[in-house]
Formats: sequence, C-alpha cells, structure tokens
Amino acid sequence: MKAAVSVMDISKAWGTYAALTNVSFDVAPGEVVALLGPSGAGKSTILRCVNHLDTITAGRIYVHGSLIGYSERSDGLYELSDVEISRQRQSIGMVFQSFNLFRHLTALQNVMSGPVHVLNMPKDKARQIALNLLEKVGLGQKGDSYPSQLSGGQQQRVAIARALAMSPKVMLLDEPTSALDPELAQEVVVTIKALAEEGQTMLIATHDMGIARDVADRVIFMESGRIVEDGPSNEFFASPRSDRAKQFLSRISAH
Amino acid sequence: MTMVTSHIATASELPIIHRRRWGSWLLGAAALLLVATIVAAGIQARILDLPVFLDYLFSPLILTGALNAIVLGTLALLIATAIGFVAALMRVSGNLILVALSSTYVYLFRGTPMLIQLIFWFNAVPIMFKTITIWLPFMDAPLVSMPTTAVVTPFIAALAGLSLAEGAYMSEIIRGGILAVDQGQRAAARALGMTQKKVLQQVVIPQAGRIIIPAAGNQYIMLLKSTSLASAVGYLELLRIATDIYSSNFRVVELLAVAAIWYLVMTAFATALQTTLEKLFPQR
Repeated sequence: MKAAVSVMDISKAWGTYAALTNVSFDVAPGEVVALLGPSGAGKSTILRCVNHLDTITAGRIYVHGSLIGYSERSDGLYELSDVEISRQRQSIGMVFQSFNLFRHLTALQNVMSGPVHVLNMPKDKARQIALNLLEKVGLGQKGDSYPSQLSGGQQQRVAIARALAMSPKVMLLDEPTSALDPELAQEVVVTIKALAEEGQTMLIATHDMGIARDVADRVIFMESGRIVEDGPSNEFFASPRSDRAKQFLSRISAH
Repeated sequence: MTMVTSHIATASELPIIHRRRWGSWLLGAAALLLVATIVAAGIQARILDLPVFLDYLFSPLILTGALNAIVLGTLALLIATAIGFVAALMRVSGNLILVALSSTYVYLFRGTPMLIQLIFWFNAVPIMFKTITIWLPFMDAPLVSMPTTAVVTPFIAALAGLSLAEGAYMSEIIRGGILAVDQGQRAAARALGMTQKKVLQQVVIPQAGRIIIPAAGNQYIMLLKSTSLASAVGYLELLRIATDIYSSNFRVVELLAVAAIWYLVMTAFATALQTTLEKLFPQR
C-alpha cells in the first residue's frame, strides 16, 4: 500500500547547525505517528518540512505520492511556485503549539477561512461545514466568539476544526497540548483521539505521553535531528530498545 | 485566644484614613491662578474684538479656505497611504533593490522640511522641466504636451508635496503594522494553502490595518494642520485667506483666532473619525 507520508533521507541545516540528519520514515494511511524526544530534537522541524513551511537541504518528502515543494528534473529538484506549493498544502492540515487562530476573525470565520478563501467555496456551504466541525469539537455554541474570548483548549479545538475544514489527507500537529494546562490539554487529547478513531492520518510532535501512549499507533523517538528508535507505541513504552529512550522514559515517569 | 479576637475586632472598627496630598492641591491652585491672570490680562487689553471675530468666523471666504484645507489634507492622506503601502511592501519584500529604493525615499522625504518640498514642487520643478510631455508607444505625436507651469498649479504642487512627504511617514507606520502581525498568523494561513497574496489580503492587511489606525489618525490631524504650509505656494487654504484678509484690515488677532478655531474643528472631526474606526475595527 502507498504511504500517506514518505520522508526519504531528509536533512536540514541552518548554516553549520544540523537540525535534521538523514531522517527517513513512512506513515501509512490511517496511521497515527507520534514524534517524541527532547526539545531541539527536530520534531517540529520535520512537520514544517512536510508542508514546506521550512525547506529541506537534502532528501525528499512525498505526501500521497506527490513530491512536496519541488518538481523533479533530470538535473535536480526545482522549487515549485507559490501557487503550486499552496495547492499541495491544501490537503495537509496543520495545528500549531500556539494555536495561531486568526485573531481578527470569530471561531466560525476561522474555520470557514480555508474553504472560502482557498477553495473558493460559497459562504453558505462553508458555514454549514464549519458549524458541523465546531459541533464535532464540542464548540457548537462558540462560533461567534473571538479567539481572545476562548480558553487555550477551546482555541486549539477551533484550530483543529479549521484544519479539518479542508478535509486534509494528512494532519500535522505540532505540540498541540504543550501550551495548555493538564486539564485543558485533556480536552484536546480527547478531540485528537476521536480523530484517530475515525482513521485520520496524523503525524504528531509531542511531549504529551498521553497522546503518544493512548492515541499514537507508533512512536518515532528522536534526538539531535536523528531518529533513535521507531516502533509500535505499546512496545516503545513497555520495552524501549535504545538506552537513550530508556533514560528519556525513566526521567518522565519520575515526575 | 480571646486576646487575639478582640484585637482583630478593634482593628476592623477603625476607619482607614488616606494621606492628604496637600502639595498637589497647592500646585493645582497656583496653576489655575496663573491661567486666570493671563486670561484677565488678555480681556483687559481687549486683544480680541468679539463682534469682528464672530463676523469672520462664518464668512464665505474663511469657510472656502477651511473646505480647501480639508480637501487638500484628506486627498493628501489618501495618496500618502497608497504611496506608504507600496513603500512599506517594498521595504519588507526582502528584495535588496526594492529595500534600498524604499529606504532612500523615506530618508529623503522624511529628512527634509515639508515646506522646502512644497516650494520645490511649485518653484523649482517648472524651472527644471519647461514642458511636460507624455509619449505613448507607436504614436507620432505626444499624447500630452503642455508647459509645466500650466500643470503645476498651487493645488497640485501642495498636493504632491504633502502626499510625498507624508507617504514617507505612512510607509514607516504601515511597515510597523505589518511587522507587528505575528509570524504564527502567516504560518497558519500558508498552512491552510493560501498563496502569499491571499495571506496579505486576508490576514496581514486586516490585522495590520487595525494596528495602524491610531497612528494614521494622528498623521491625519498633523496633515490637516500642515495644509497651512500650502499658503507659501499661494494655495487659497485657511491660513492664506486669513492672512490675506488681515494684511488689508490689520485685524490680526481676530483672524488668526478664526483660523485656529477652524483647525480645532477639523482636528475634532479627525479625532471622531479615528475613534469610530477604532470601534468598528477593534484590535482583538
């Protein structure tokens, strides 16, 4: 079966600093993969490369068979135009640590923004989709609220609805619960778990062991821009193979 | 135990007495006295002849001057905003040539007095270019060809001078507004699949717009008052008309007061406009 996301031997450097070094992995359709590891391991950078918000210095990334950000010619990979890259991003949803809801728009307008301004969908139809999605994330009553009037957990659920409004084939979640207190984080985890059960393909960079253990099918453990360990989530938590992962898990469970 | 309870009871019964700020009261009284003295001296000296003042306040000439000032100031603000927007986009474009051009424009037009720029447009440009000629490709004769003095009227010179000088200030204000929009907002818009143009239209401009409204309102007020500089190139705005009148009847104080009153009215109008816009487009 064709992979939903195929990361092939990518590297990324900022000057002499290697953010990612020869990273490769596949995500199968419907699979939920958690990227774990200490801060600075390169988890978020991978996500930002998958939708070409950051550019890679080597390797290639495919999402559902299409090469992201470049067109391949005999003598090299040529970066695509703004319009072409934007079209690729339409089927890749992204959720950010700091929510990044458009703060001049209401929750409903935020969710409608993709369908209306990117897909040129009629507003009535977009509104219906947005209302359904807000209902789905448990915020049916909050459509007219501005982001500043919502709690962090609510904002993040609106942000998830905004990404879902584009019916993405793949969702990238960049530390979706890191900016939230444990109680608010829990409501976001519940939302993400419901998506996983519906078969949404997700790649989640996280520090939240609840997500990695209970939601993810697979864990990729990283350090210093390299993959240290890659395996089923239950195996990773029950018996991590690498010493580094053992150390990481023992420090977390000490809390 | 009883000791403590009674102690607390006594503590809450006693009223709290705030410290009187005698010093600031005295200072306020002294300031009022000073103002009263100046006003009384002014009235005693009869510097302002009230009937004459009221006569000119609503005279058609003065009202025309005020209207001309509003037209000039408002048009100049609109043009300056357009120029400033383009210059600001050039400045944040990251394109070295565009950045250099935009920075040079801001430096030159913000760095020289507005008055010099106005006089330059009116007096120097017609000397430098005797005729204005516009050629279109594939045409044997020019589309437009006329003496520069016929094109550069006092109004055009004043409008060009004020717009270009103000455009430099507006470009810095707009650039500040654009930079104040959080990078995360742009990243979210691009992640949805918006092109750079859409990101600008749907996210950056609406948010930067709200940020720049107070500063733009401030510039509008400054510009309405700066229209008085156009008196130097003979444009019949408020100050020019007031000075023309008092140079024949010597009612200097009354006419300057009349002009000042109308500038205050314009400023009140601009302030109200700014407040309304801020309420319509609040920063969230």
